[in-house]
Amino acid sequence: MTNQTLNDERLQLLASVLDLVIPPSPDGNKPGAGELGLANQLAAGMAGDAMMAAMIGAGLDKIEQLAGPDGFAALDPSQRQSLLEKANEEVPGLVPFLTFRVYTLYYQDNRVLEALGLAPRPPHPVGYEMEPFDESLLAPVRGRAKLYRTTERGE
Amino acid sequence: MPEAPVDVLIIGAGASGAAIAWSLAETKMNILCLEQGDWVKSTDYPGIGADWELRQFGDFGLSPNGRGRSEDYPVNDDESPIQASMFNAVGGSTILYAGHFPRFHPSDFRVRALDGVADDWPIDYDLLAPYYEENERMMGVSGLAGDPAYPQPKKPPLPPLPLGKLGNTLAAGFNQLGWHWWPSDSAIASQPYEGRDGCINAGTCLVGCPQGAKASTDVTYWPLAIRQGVRIKTRCRVREITVGDNGLADGVVYFDEDGNEQKQKAEVVIVACNGIGTPRLLLNSKSKQFPDGLANRSGMVGKNLMFHPYGLVRGVFPERLEGYKGATGCVIMSQEFYETDPARDFVRGYSFEMLRGMGPVFTALSGMSTGDVDWGADHHRTYDEFFDRTAGMVVICEDLPEACNTVTLDPQRTDSNGMPAAKITYRLSDNSRKMLDHAIERAKEVLHAAGATRTTTEAPLQVAGWHLMGTARMGRDPETSVVNEWGRAHDVRNLFIVDGSVFVTSAAVNPTNTIQSLALYVADTMKKNLANLFD
Ligand SMILES: Cc1cc2nc3c(=O)[nH]c(=O)nc-3n(C[C@H](O)[C@H](O)[C@H](O)COP(=O)(O)OP(=O)(O)OC[C@H]3O[C@@H](n4cnc5c(N)ncnc54)[C@H](O)[C@@H]3O)c2cc1C
Ligand code: SF4
Repeated sequence: MTNQTLNDERLQLLASVLDLVIPPSPDGNKPGAGELGLANQLAAGMAGDAMMAAMIGAGLDKIEQLAGPDGFAALDPSQRQSLLEKANEEVPGLVPFLTFRVYTLYYQDNRVLEALGLAPRPPHPVGYEMEPFDESLLAPVRGRAKLYRTTERGE
Repeated sequence: MPEAPVDVLIIGAGASGAAIAWSLAETKMNILCLEQGDWVKSTDYPGIGADWELRQFGDFGLSPNGRGRSEDYPVNDDESPIQASMFNAVGGSTILYAGHFPRFHPSDFRVRALDGVADDWPIDYDLLAPYYEENERMMGVSGLAGDPAYPQPKKPPLPPLPLGKLGNTLAAGFNQLGWHWWPSDSAIASQPYEGRDGCINAGTCLVGCPQGAKASTDVTYWPLAIRQGVRIKTRCRVREITVGDNGLADGVVYFDEDGNEQKQKAEVVIVACNGIGTPRLLLNSKSKQFPDGLANRSGMVGKNLMFHPYGLVRGVFPERLEGYKGATGCVIMSQEFYETDPARDFVRGYSFEMLRGMGPVFTALSGMSTGDVDWGADHHRTYDEFFDRTAGMVVICEDLPEACNTVTLDPQRTDSNGMPAAKITYRLSDNSRKMLDHAIERAKEVLHAAGATRTTTEAPLQVAGWHLMGTARMGRDPETSVVNEWGRAHDVRNLFIVDGSVFVTSAAVNPTNTIQSLALYVADTMKKNLANLFD
């Protein structure tokens, strides 16, 4: 799909970069951020957020330039990581910016919530079951003398 | 057309404004409350959406400065290590509060007599005890009788909230050290109560409770007060309380929801705008009789601002704690180090309160800011070390009043109606610093005893300026206090103040139960003295 703000090629590049920020988990349980489709969400956000559009645009330009003619896709993961670190030096704030945006989207996604052992839904209106309070835990405290100081009037 | 004069005008519909409105309603006087904020609908709350954690940085943030809501007023906190936190709506800051609902100790009202610092209150624990009980019933407090840290009887109307795995783990740490702890007194209904649903342990309390289980006053006192005839006008910001030639308050000037200036006359004015909003309004109410601000002949309006300096210590545990389940701030409280101990290098003391863990987004963002969670190849390993494996503790230190800690009018910034913003100037005292240091070390000890493998600390906790006290203090001497022992301004006999501004000292517990109980006590005293209220 071609997005309003990024063409297919740039969208693919962004997805590969996001997969670098959060790769798939080694046990295969959690998807990479690119694989989760977060590039589309970021690109959609760029339309209404000039700061974001400028940062991502400049970042992708720099990554393309540093990757050379074979492109980012041809590099192995450790080379990609070094390249992104280099791009961050030349486009200051690029990695913290991407990381912040990616973390907030990634950890709201139902597939990720399930992989973390959480219910794939917002906390309300269902909530969570919990065991009632177990009073036996308080036995040592109940045995203690009063802890407050008395004042002149009664207690 | 200007509205007819009312008998009682309450400014502010938060914790204290709601309590006094309800109590006075039985008099059948004509009572009106002006509130600058609006009602919050249960569907407005972030907890029903996937982005609920993020909205804590946005429209449900702690600081009024970053929320982008026109009903907020800016608070310039550049000269304070602690940022002011509040909410402006029907329910006031109880919309965001955690619902921790302890009482003061008897010794908290006798600070000078017992410890030689600050001042004693003109009232005491025994006088407030029946109002605490009434307030706990009205708000629907969950807890357990028998706490050795308090005089008995003290019996919350509802059973305690569940501790969960996280709470049980921490309780075991306290037991191992032989330290006091008790399930929190919580203004959260542990089961259905008086038409409100019980808590479903969803853990979004600090961005409001869509369930209505948390006792914000829009779901407790207000519906009852309104049923008895009290009226609230929302989106009405009071700019100034006016005085007549006789030196009594005769009403207010306010901005209505369209920003038009309106006047409202009243026989009695009650200010309930919190420890920052109240001095701001009084200082902005200048007149010939009161050139330094209303009821400020003592010069004490805006002085003695107290927060509770907070410290946050988080422990990282090897196993998962299910810390996303349960009321965010209401787990257990410890008062092992509450009372003064002459062996320590500070006076007075502090409480510990346990916190639930962080949600998935917060875990990632906080790990990003501390450098504990990596991006890239190591992301999942470093994230998994933290997610649902942290338990927090806050320490709440008693803050002592100091005249140099102030609320003033900001010379430059204004709110959306052009009214001057509040400016706070605050420094942490030497006593508070020493107390924080002591408390942080003890917190680490108990977290390690509970099984934490490492701890992180933030002290003072910058965002924790949510207890606002002392800026229109109560006392018998008009030279050194703003209101008398039942909340009436010394200088203006038909003006009452009922929020945390009237606190003489801060104790080392969350203040709202005491704020509201005081408001109920002021209301009762007014009712008993109706015939000669202004004598
Ligand atoms: C994040 C957070 C967590 C907290 N947790 C706890 C807790 O666990 N336990 C606890 O005891 N306390 C807690 N608190 C504090 C608690 O919310 C306050 O102590 C309590 O709400 C104060 O009551 P109040 O009536 O003084 O003021 P508020 O409840 O703040 O109400 C004041 C009202 O006055 C209105 N107002 C102000 N100025 C004007 C004006 N000029 N014209 C019209 N209206 C005006 C405001 O809009 C507001 O609605 C917390 C607060 C926050 C923000
Ligand atoms: S945990 Fe309970 S009190 Fe807190 S928001 Fe959920 S239902 Fe409300």
